[in-house]
Amino acid sequence: MFSHYIDLSWRSFKRTPLVSLLMVIAIGVGIGITMTSLSVYHMMSMDPIPQKSDKLHAVQLQIMDERSSWWTPDDLPYQLTYQDAENLQNADLPYKRTALMKSGFSVHLDSDKLQPFMAVSRLASRQAFEMFNLSFQHGAPWSAEQEESATPVAVISQSMSKKLFGTDNSVGKSFYLDDLNVQVTGVIADWQINIKYYDLNNGAFNEPEQIFLPFSLIKAYEIDTWGNTNGWKNEDLRNFTNKMQSEHVWLQFWIELDSEEDKKAFGDYLMNYMQEQKKLGRFERTKLDYGLKDVNEWITYFEVVNEDNKILVALSFMFLAVCLANILGLLLAKFLRRAPEVGVRRALGASKTQVFYQHIVEVAMLGLMGGLIGILVAQLGLWGIRHSYEYYSNLANMDLSMLFAAPVIAITACIVAGMYPAWLVCKTTPSTYLKSQ
Amino acid sequence: MLKMNNISKMYQTEMVQTHALRDFNLNVEEGEFIAVTGPSGSGKTTFLNIAGMLEPFTGGEYLLDGIDVGKLNDNQRADLRNKKIGFIFQGFNLIPDLNLYENVEVPLRYRGIKAAERKRRIEQCLEQVGLASRAKHLPQQLSGGQQQRVAIARALAGEPRFLLADEPTGNLDSLMARQVMELLEQINRDGATIIMVTHDAELARRAPRNIQVVDGQLADFTLYQGNPNMAVGA
Repeated sequence: MFSHYIDLSWRSFKRTPLVSLLMVIAIGVGIGITMTSLSVYHMMSMDPIPQKSDKLHAVQLQIMDERSSWWTPDDLPYQLTYQDAENLQNADLPYKRTALMKSGFSVHLDSDKLQPFMAVSRLASRQAFEMFNLSFQHGAPWSAEQEESATPVAVISQSMSKKLFGTDNSVGKSFYLDDLNVQVTGVIADWQINIKYYDLNNGAFNEPEQIFLPFSLIKAYEIDTWGNTNGWKNEDLRNFTNKMQSEHVWLQFWIELDSEEDKKAFGDYLMNYMQEQKKLGRFERTKLDYGLKDVNEWITYFEVVNEDNKILVALSFMFLAVCLANILGLLLAKFLRRAPEVGVRRALGASKTQVFYQHIVEVAMLGLMGGLIGILVAQLGLWGIRHSYEYYSNLANMDLSMLFAAPVIAITACIVAGMYPAWLVCKTTPSTYLKSQ
Repeated sequence: MLKMNNISKMYQTEMVQTHALRDFNLNVEEGEFIAVTGPSGSGKTTFLNIAGMLEPFTGGEYLLDGIDVGKLNDNQRADLRNKKIGFIFQGFNLIPDLNLYENVEVPLRYRGIKAAERKRRIEQCLEQVGLASRAKHLPQQLSGGQQQRVAIARALAGEPRFLLADEPTGNLDSLMARQVMELLEQINRDGATIIMVTHDAELARRAPRNIQVVDGQLADFTLYQGNPNMAVGA
């Protein structure tokens, strides 16, 4: 009977093309707007590294004295001082970890083959690639020796390799970052993430970097940050060495902890570390404190998906509800106009259930058509967002789950809207219409 | 085959109660052809709707082939109606978007009959009413008499034991009315039981058994053939 109901639905569509088209467009626009906001929300709230988001932890230390406070809920600064980042990086610990810093350079080949361009770069430890699941297409990370000796080497992305050298495999080739000549040790696949979770303090939706350098180069070549630097007390910084020794916070630190035991052990280590530093006149608070948040906690902590985003999604669903209210009215008119035909069908042996299903299939079909139009409208909306706000270009996309969700939401919404008209038409007394036809 | 004991039907509004049928008793045997006559508003159509399970009754007992209709739910009534009863209406009540073939197919689809069997029955029924060559026509492309013949074919397709006809010739001229009546008589001779509501005294006289409904009651009956005990007047 299902295929018969589909056939009847299609005939009904053709019988009242204008009303049917109006309904499909109303659903399409409602679904399109809803899916646009829902897709952005979905991409924003998606776990960026589901395989190990519960293992990677951002480290925070309470460096401030009692008189100072931060604007975070737990009063902890987002970032670390250089001293602490370097100490934790060099500590004898069994965990993979990396200090991180955003920087940037004029990139060139010291030749007329390539127009120089500015590029954001990331300074990190060699373990960062494994921690963040970055896969090498060619070569490998720089060696421990290169890291220790601050050798000017780099790992670049596939796109950067093509841009600089016109090839995927540029291992062994050299290029310039300002005046610094660096050699490529590895090429990674382009890093595809929607949320730049490892450095939310410098823009949650910025593109990930394509040039990675050893963290040790910061000190060796006095490479300054392109990210935020926050001070909490008055310090006289006359040179870069002063900054590195200061209590200003400007670096991120991530550690991979595989179990709760590891997390507790590392927490104990941090408490001991702060106690030791306290003896040196740092960490002045009576009660020492640290933060160890996994990826999703970190994203929530930064309110990457804020209330505004949620309100926007709620509003778009309300708009869909308004569209559905209109559809409900049109369906009522359309179905009740068909009551005499329903009377005949009932007289010929159709049960109320069969009549109900027939009409539900019809609204589901309208929902499917509206859902498909909704996908087109949503694509248009997302295209508009991508071209209006470059910052959101990574997020304004519809992934496969959203693509399937669109018709499912449309069909479900239409069935909900169509239940009442379908119920109303199926409960009419057939004899009322048989005589009057 | 069809037995109604003290059937009553009451329509109630806030202001007034109307008794469409009361103490209605009828016994119909297999193979009968009954004409139901009576003045307008006497309850003929209400009786036919109750007999066809299109309307619930307020009181009494209705047995169809021994099945107590009052105890059935909607789905069971629809199933019983589909299997045992065929309807012929004054206004034909063909579905305008469906061609003749598809119109005749409607009750067969609800019965879940397979496509090949449906095709066989539809072709046979359209042949029987002389419209096999018009199977792809839409109802509005036919005359009134032809449309009524399609309605008869649709009623016959399910091979019902009962045909309920409500003024089947009411919208037809006398020539077409006679043709439709002859067709009904043929169907009756083939074994179907027919109950026909009509205002036309001449047509009623052609039925072997007449019953008259007045003020919602079986007021009188005239029997031209058969056993006088078949109908019980009030």
